[in-house]
Amino acid sequence: MSIIGYLLIIIGAFFYFLGGLGMFRMPDVYNRLQAGTKATTLGSFSTLLGVGLVNPAFLGKALLIIAFIALTNPVGSSVLARAAYLKGVKPTSKTVVDEYADEATKKAGEEQ
Amino acid sequence: MRRFLSALIALGLIIILLEFLNLIPDFGNVDLSKRVSNSFINKSVDGNNETIEFKKSKDLEDGSANVVTSIVVNYRSFDTLGEVTVLFTAALGVGLILKGLRRKRFYREPNFILKTANGILLPLIFLFGAYIFIHGHLTPGGGFPGGTIIAAGILVLYLSNEKFELSHRAKILESGMGTVYVLFGLVGLILSGIFLRNFLPTGVIGELFSAGIVPLIYVAIGFKVGAELSNLISEFQKEGQQ
Repeated sequence: MSIIGYLLIIIGAFFYFLGGLGMFRMPDVYNRLQAGTKATTLGSFSTLLGVGLVNPAFLGKALLIIAFIALTNPVGSSVLARAAYLKGVKPTSKTVVDEYADEATKKAGEEQ
Repeated sequence: MRRFLSALIALGLIIILLEFLNLIPDFGNVDLSKRVSNSFINKSVDGNNETIEFKKSKDLEDGSANVVTSIVVNYRSFDTLGEVTVLFTAALGVGLILKGLRRKRFYREPNFILKTANGILLPLIFLFGAYIFIHGHLTPGGGFPGGTIIAAGILVLYLSNEKFELSHRAKILESGMGTVYVLFGLVGLILSGIFLRNFLPTGVIGELFSAGIVPLIYVAIGFKVGAELSNLISEFQKEGQQ
């Protein structure tokens, strides 16, 4: 049981590392947000679950914290990305699809 | 000339600070039992400084398990009253300044995801804030952080709901809770001759119903700070409206 826990902690630490790497390597705000939030969400999940498995007394609290992160992290990152988009932060030039802009033009076309 | 003078002042300050270093005992070589802090930790400033035990010691000078709280809301409560007043003055200043400005109102359609998530998250945010200030005498935290968390919940409400409007009762709540704090002080003054003295039984340390007036005052501060910061947010939101 505790071996699985330690393995999970290592996996979590690896995902934290990937998140940090993504912050440096990604080209624009949206990619960085994606790297940061996705990696830390998964990293925190597995780290906390690992801690819970290593020390069963902490398991309940760990699951509760995981539930709270699952509730707040995606919402927060989506709000941040939306705010950045509406403020006019341009995505990188390599961007292929911009569904938000498509949606907005469609909406404007319907109104006219 | 000016540069020379400022260099001289900086040099003088450095010399004074270095002189003060001599007064401080070496790191790790401090005998805490001779310090005032020891009697604060044992909560017997007026007593004969006995060691206290968690969940056992009864009827101490101040029954709050959190040392910071026992200092902030009991031994140093008058100072905290001033702190609350500072926050009140800040909120007042923001209200006065923003009243004169006529800027365009910031408006943006609320985020759908935020709106949906709020149904689950908002009650939890408010619950957490209330927990922080109700348990202020047991765990880290207290009225100020608890109130701030509640105000953050109000901010999320403003961001997610375009029709949300803070009731003017928040202002009444704010001043009412400030008055409650002073009233507690006055009752202490009447009963024991000292302003803001703990006049309720302090109970067993570490239990929820302990520490006399400390949790009551922290609940008052929590409501006051929450209402104050919420008012501040609503001032910013209403900025420029007639």
